[in-house]
Amino acid sequence: MEAYLGIDVGSVTTKLAVLDEYDKLITNLYLLTEGKPIEMVQQGLTQIKQQLPEDVNICGVATTGSARYLAGVIVGADLVKNEITSHAVATLQYLPEVQTIIEIGGQDSKIIIVRDGVVTDFGMNTVCAAGTGSFLDHQALRLNVSIEEFSRRALASDTPVRIAGRCTVFAESDMIHKQQMGHRTEDILYGLCQALVRNYFNNVGLGKDIKPPVVFQGGVAFNQAIVKALQEELNAEVIVPPHHEIMGAIGAALLVHEEILNSDNGSKFKGFGVSEIKYYTSSFECEACPNLCEIAQLSLNGRVLARWGGRCDRWERGSSS
Amino acid sequence: MRIGIPHMGNLYIPVKALFERLNIDYVIPPVNSQRTLSLGVKHSPEGLCIPFKLTLGNLIEAAELGADTLLMAGGYGICRLGYYAKIQEQIIRDLGYNCEMVQLGVSEQKLFGLLKVIKRLSNYAPWSRIISAFRFGLAKLNALDKIERVVQKVRPIERIKGKANWLFAKAIKAIDKADDYATLKRVQTDYIDQLNQVTKDNQAQPLIVGITGEFYVVLEPFSNLDVESELGKLGVEVRRMTFISEWTKFSLFLNPLGMNEKDRIHKAALPYLKRDIGGDGWESVGEKVLHAKEYDGLVHLAPFTCMPEITAQNIMPSTKENIPVLTILCDEQIAKAGVLTRLEAFVDLLECRRRKCNNK
Repeated sequence: MEAYLGIDVGSVTTKLAVLDEYDKLITNLYLLTEGKPIEMVQQGLTQIKQQLPEDVNICGVATTGSARYLAGVIVGADLVKNEITSHAVATLQYLPEVQTIIEIGGQDSKIIIVRDGVVTDFGMNTVCAAGTGSFLDHQALRLNVSIEEFSRRALASDTPVRIAGRCTVFAESDMIHKQQMGHRTEDILYGLCQALVRNYFNNVGLGKDIKPPVVFQGGVAFNQAIVKALQEELNAEVIVPPHHEIMGAIGAALLVHEEILNSDNGSKFKGFGVSEIKYYTSSFECEACPNLCEIAQLSLNGRVLARWGGRCDRWERGSSS
Repeated sequence: MRIGIPHMGNLYIPVKALFERLNIDYVIPPVNSQRTLSLGVKHSPEGLCIPFKLTLGNLIEAAELGADTLLMAGGYGICRLGYYAKIQEQIIRDLGYNCEMVQLGVSEQKLFGLLKVIKRLSNYAPWSRIISAFRFGLAKLNALDKIERVVQKVRPIERIKGKANWLFAKAIKAIDKADDYATLKRVQTDYIDQLNQVTKDNQAQPLIVGITGEFYVVLEPFSNLDVESELGKLGVEVRRMTFISEWTKFSLFLNPLGMNEKDRIHKAALPYLKRDIGGDGWESVGEKVLHAKEYDGLVHLAPFTCMPEITAQNIMPSTKENIPVLTILCDEQIAKAGVLTRLEAFVDLLECRRRKCNNK
C-alpha cells in the first residue's frame, strides 16, 4: 500500500501522520518534543512503524513546524513546508468551505483567512505567549489542576471572573489576586479561558476579517472550555476537526503526496532505519564579520549534513547534501 | 576635524568618494552588526525606532574610532526622525565623547543646503572642487543602484542560488575602489554583463512582490533581515521604488524645480488618505493602490512604534485595489526564523492566488 508521511515538529509536541494513496489517515502519533527534536523524530519513526500495517510503502515524506529544516535533513524529506500552509491545506481538505482557521499551539497561535478555497491573509503571534497553550499549561500547574481536569472544571463555572490577559505576567498576578479574594477555582479557570481568547483576538486576530465557518485546531482545541469561550466571543459555531491536534502533519502529508505525483523522482526518504543513527549536533561562532553569528550544525560520522543560523549564506547548506 | 557618518545601505560608498576628493578626514564605522545594534539599543530610549537605534550605534562606533564631527539626517517635515540628531548628540556627549553633530536638513534645504554643509566640512574648498566631488559621488551612487536593479531581476531565476548576491558583493567592493569615471563605467558594465551571463531559468515566471514602507528599513538590509534576498531565494522578483539615487535625483534637483515624483503616488492614495501623515505612510498606501495590477503582493516594512507606517498598515486592507500585504515590523526583537516562516507562507499564498487567477 502506498502511503505518505507528514511530520510536524513543534516547540512543545511532535506530530506524525500517515495517509494512504486516497489521502485517508492510516495512523498518527502525538509526542511531547521535550526540547529534543532529533530524538523525538527518531522515536516517532520507530513507534509509528509499529503502528503501520506490514505492506505499507512510504512514497513521500514532508516536514513542517518550527524544526522543519532539522527534521527534514534527518528523515530525508521530499518537501519542507511552513506550518501556516500545512495547516490551511489540511483544513481545506476537511472542510472546503472554511473561511477562518484558528490554530492555537504550544508556543504560537495563528489565524488563517480563507476565501473560495484560497488563503488570502494570515497572522501569527510574535513574541508574546499570552495567547498560547503553554500559558494555560503553566497556570493549570500553578492551580494544581491537571490539564485534563482543567476543561471539565472550567465548564462548570457559572460566574466567570475577569482576568487581565494582556500579558502572562499580569494575568498570573491578577489570578492570584482573584484567588486570594475567594473566587472559586472554576470561575477563575473559565475567566482564564476568556482572557486567552480575548487576547488572541486583540493580538493575532486584530484587523482580520473573521467569517464563519470557523475551524479551531491545534493542541489547545482539546480544551472544551476554550471552544466555548471562542464561540461566545465570535457568536458563531466553532468546528473542531476530529484530528485537530495533528492537522499540520496531515497537511504536510497531503502536500507531499501532490508533490510526488507531479514529479518524476522517487522519494528521498531515508527509511525507518534513521531512528538508529546517532546524529551529532554542535555549534560555533562564525568570526568572518562583526556579527559573530551562532552557527548550528548537524553531522553524521564526522560529515556535516546541514548548517543553520547565519545572517548570510556563508555556512548554509542545502538539505539535499 | 574628523567626520563620522551613520550607515544606510551602501550610502557610505558615495559619501566616502566625496570626502576623499575633498581631502576631508573621515571614518566610516564598521557596517551594521550585532554589536552596532546592541550599542544602539543599550543607549536609546526603549520606545524609539530601529533607525534611531542603529544609527546611534553607528555614530558611537564612529566616535570610538576618533570621529569628532558626526553627520546625521534631520530637519522638520519628516517624522520623529527630524529631532533624532539632537537626541543622539546629547546621548553621545553623555557617553563622554566630545563630538559636534552636524544636522543635514535635506528635506527643506535641498541641494544648496547640502552643498553648504559640504563647503563647511571641506574647510571652504572652492565651489568647483565641491561640485566635481559631489558629481563623482553621485556617479557611484547611480552605478550601485543600477547594478542592484539587475541583481533583483537575477536572484529569483538564477540556477545556482546565491550567485547574484556574490557578484553584487564583489561589485560593491569594485565600485568602492574605483577612483575615476572611466574605471567606474567599466566596473558597472562589467558586472552587469556578468550578472546577465549567470545561468538562469528563462522559462520561470517569478512572482512579483513590491517592497514598500519606511525609507530606512527598506534600504538597510540589516534592519529587515535581508528580506529582499530571502524573497529572491524563494523565487520571487522584488520591485521597489525607493532607491537612494532616485531619491537624491528628485529631492536635490527636481523637487526645487517643482517636479515631484511622489505626486503620482499621493494621487493614488487620495481616496483613502488625504494628507501627509509624516514619514512615508502616505507613500506606502499610494504604492499599494498604484501597483495593485502589476504586483502579486506587497511586503510592507515598518519600524516598530512608527506612527506613520502603523497608520498606513491599518488603511491598506480597506483599499479597493486588493493585493495581499504582509507587514513586517522591524525592531531589535525580530527573529529570522519567524520572518522566514511568514515569508514562505506569504509566497505560498501568492502562488495559490496566481494559479487561481490563471484558471479563471
